[in-house]
Amino acid sequence: MADDKDVLRDVWFGRIPTCFTLYQDEITEREAEPFYLLLPRMSYLTLVTDKVKKHFLKVMKAEDVEEMWFDFEGTSLKWHYPIGLLFDLHASNTALPWNITVHFKNFPERDLLHCPSNSVIEAHFMSSIKEADALKHKSQVINDMQKKDHKQLWMGLQNDKFDQFWAMNRKLMEYPTEEGGFRYIPFRIYLTMSDRPFIQKLFRPISPDGHTHTLGDLLKEVYPVAISNDDESKRYQVVIHGIEPLLETPLQWLSEHLSHPDNFLHISVIPAPSD
Amino acid sequence: MVVGVGDGVRGTHREMSSCFLDEETFCQCCQLFLQHSHSLCDGWSWQQVKGSEEGYLRKTTLGTGRTRCNQDQQGTSSDQHQERTFSLSFHDDDDDDDGAVCCIQEESSSVVQYEYHILYSCSYQTPVLYFRASTLEGRSLCLEEVWDSVHPNYRQRLQHRPWDTITQQEHPLLGQSFFVLHPCRTEEFMKPVLKAALEEHRQVNYIVTWLSVVGPVVGLDVPLSYCTQVPEPPHTPSSSPQPPALGTKPG
Repeated sequence: MADDKDVLRDVWFGRIPTCFTLYQDEITEREAEPFYLLLPRMSYLTLVTDKVKKHFLKVMKAEDVEEMWFDFEGTSLKWHYPIGLLFDLHASNTALPWNITVHFKNFPERDLLHCPSNSVIEAHFMSSIKEADALKHKSQVINDMQKKDHKQLWMGLQNDKFDQFWAMNRKLMEYPTEEGGFRYIPFRIYLTMSDRPFIQKLFRPISPDGHTHTLGDLLKEVYPVAISNDDESKRYQVVIHGIEPLLETPLQWLSEHLSHPDNFLHISVIPAPSD
Repeated sequence: MVVGVGDGVRGTHREMSSCFLDEETFCQCCQLFLQHSHSLCDGWSWQQVKGSEEGYLRKTTLGTGRTRCNQDQQGTSSDQHQERTFSLSFHDDDDDDDGAVCCIQEESSSVVQYEYHILYSCSYQTPVLYFRASTLEGRSLCLEEVWDSVHPNYRQRLQHRPWDTITQQEHPLLGQSFFVLHPCRTEEFMKPVLKAALEEHRQVNYIVTWLSVVGPVVGLDVPLSYCTQVPEPPHTPSSSPQPPALGTKPG
């Protein structure tokens, strides 16, 4: 059990070394140096890049600055996805540091959500938690919490306070013993080679005859493409928090320990590197 | 003498264990809805997701909207007071500033294209209304402008209940940005309607009922004939209190 708590910490404190470079067509008064930052996997881009903005604003005129947004190798990065998910999905098999391009113009309206303030991030985060609880507990646990408890979840994330966050989040990870697990597992499987951004379906952690469902069971049911046959070489990697969990791992355990702070299991299916 | 269960009680009072909708019933309701739409030339269509049985209803309309944000159009206005849009304040203590800070321009009435999608949410087991709006030049309307098109009667209510509100979200099937009316309170207004219909042995098409409540909030009209002409699909929502969940199929 002590090992399991370590997993929670390891997930929370995961970091990605990132290099932010200003887009070459942005108008600057002098040359902009790149900016290096360790990004927390479990947070959101717009929540942790104030320093990035301040850095580049030093060499730009106010009138040339609109809403900041980011791209990686031409793909605009969705701030409402956790940082770790964005990395696993787009840059898993590239060399570190993660090279992100910074923009202050030509915001891609169709593709990116606007993020005018932190309260938008908070609303999005709480909305995900609420949805996860709708799946796990028919919203009973989240609705029983008070407003200050919700605030504690958000503040824990915003200020990188593991203990403060988990003091409240552990309630969302409980379930009636006789059930053996949550009602449904909150998960999303993200695909890179599809128009569809992700797959999300109802899936129980325990079958009616008491059989514990694994990650492999989930994939077989919901996205069988991800699992190769024994004789084939592996075409895809199934990645959560930068690792490939064994397909035999119980889904309930994954949900309790490898979820993001928003209580969702964000799973990336990416092409396996060919070397 | 054998006394059966429910003897003396007319019919079966099925427990209103849920006013929720399973996905199959959602699709059936949509198909019936669609048939009526075709007869009215009301503009709805069904969009199927490639390689799956999932899909959604879609409709575009033209209307007038009050637009204010004037993002960079080439040499549109020589107005000296034209501010850049979205002057972003990245203040950490910006608790109550929820909306985008748009430039303060004169409001003008212009033609706006609205696009409405009705999707199914498996998390909430209800339909969800997604929509977006753009000018004929292709400029997307911002949240402020969308708020302006919400009927004043609804605006106050929406603004004061955080989870009853309009927010920008990613469309789960297309990955693009849309505005959404949050679905978590759907139960509150659907439950009494479904209960009454059940007791009075009336037909109710979930989509018609639901849309006639949420549609008008965002400028989407549902002609009255939908309510009288569109039937219920063969299985009512309350007959399947638990949606058919994956992971329960034999083998």
